[in-house]
Amino acid sequence: MDTEPVGAIGGLMRELGKLPGIGPKTAERLTHFLLGAKRSDVLALADALRAVKDEIRPCRQCCNLTEGDLCVLCADPRRDASVLCVVEQPRDLFALERSATYRGLYHVLHGRLAPLDGIGAEQLTIDKLLQRVRAGGVREVIMATNPTLEGDGTALYLASELAATGVRVTRLARGLPSGSGLEFANSQMLADALEGRRTF
Amino acid sequence: MAAEKAQALVLRTTDWSETSRIATLWTREFGKVRALAKGGRRLKSNFENALDLLTHCRIVFLRKSSGSLDLLTEAQVVRRFPRLRSDLAALYAAYYVAELLESMTEEYDPHPLLFDAALELLDALGSPRVDEAPVVGPYVVRFELVLLREVGYSPALDGCASCGGPVDESRLAFSCAAGGLVCPNCVGQFRDRQSLSPAGRKMLRTLQQPAEDALRQPWEAGVRREVRQVLSQYVTYLLGRQPRLLPYLGS
Ligand SMILES: [Zn+2]
Ligand SMILES: [Zn+2]
Repeated sequence: MDTEPVGAIGGLMRELGKLPGIGPKTAERLTHFLLGAKRSDVLALADALRAVKDEIRPCRQCCNLTEGDLCVLCADPRRDASVLCVVEQPRDLFALERSATYRGLYHVLHGRLAPLDGIGAEQLTIDKLLQRVRAGGVREVIMATNPTLEGDGTALYLASELAATGVRVTRLARGLPSGSGLEFANSQMLADALEGRRTF
Repeated sequence: MAAEKAQALVLRTTDWSETSRIATLWTREFGKVRALAKGGRRLKSNFENALDLLTHCRIVFLRKSSGSLDLLTEAQVVRRFPRLRSDLAALYAAYYVAELLESMTEEYDPHPLLFDAALELLDALGSPRVDEAPVVGPYVVRFELVLLREVGYSPALDGCASCGGPVDESRLAFSCAAGGLVCPNCVGQFRDRQSLSPAGRKMLRTLQQPAEDALRQPWEAGVRREVRQVLSQYVTYLLGRQPRLLPYLGS
């Protein structure tokens, strides 16, 4: 039987092994790389790790992760503050920003309503979103939660909560990706595309 | 290690690693099955689509020896229920069905009638019929009564649950501990008793029968609430805790 590495080296291997996509072999390789690396490089990594936990917090307005009080998007005067796009996670916001077509602001829920897992409205940033819309100045809220049953359920719940405010509530379209052929789409994408068809 | 085929409803999925997850499936042929779905988190795969909650799918899985997880190798959508995405009452009723199936049945304990009852509810509440928005209560009650019968806890609604004797029609008393109505002689032994109106009893008895028109009967709102309360307490008693979805459930 192998002997488990103990002490500082074993600790580092175990921590690295918790990262996604890193198995025991890779964790061992990374550990030995770090053991052989320059002290300043390793400490810079340690500082960067500490900084993401100590200095990153939710944006006061949209709950996106940020280092300041307001995130760069909320602080940008060129963004259209009358349109809000509601996403589940910061990574969804990053994905939409990469598409470089959206000029409005966001609201990050940090999850989705999952009553079967005991996740209700209180566990998310829903109250903050409702306050934000009720405060005025918002004309459209775009639901960009994931197209899963729970994501759709979350959008449905939010739409019903927002109905009284009179704000326009829309849902991201789903269907075929541009630049790809019909034959490459799976059956659900085709079904969604047919359902969401538009007139020319 | 045998490859099994089954029809299934997806009750729950939990992430297992970056690329795989564990699906809890309720199959018609084998009852509840938990299986590892490798690549089940990869976007755009048919696999991923079929594993969305409350999807009716056809699956193939490798049944492992006891102690290790079954392995899901195929999943194809048979149908999904779009109205659950546009009607909150229907969505919560469907979540409740998933919760009861998961928490009140054991793995590899098949109940085909229960599978059919779940599908019947999902079909009625989750299929797009623009002309009508069905009242969810009776559908949920019908499903609960099938479930209770299948797991051996059908509530006694004709005679006394304790001694089998006749019950007092003018003062019906329901006890969760007794498992149904109790007669005047036995009622003293059951401190958890609650009163049940003749109309509430009638709704329960009617929905215990398989007739479909009972589901669309215009049950009075007060009666629906009473029946909801009795069944909520009974299910909570049997489960030993309140189901998570109960507070969301309409009558
Ligand atoms: Zn912000
Ligand atoms: Zn009795």
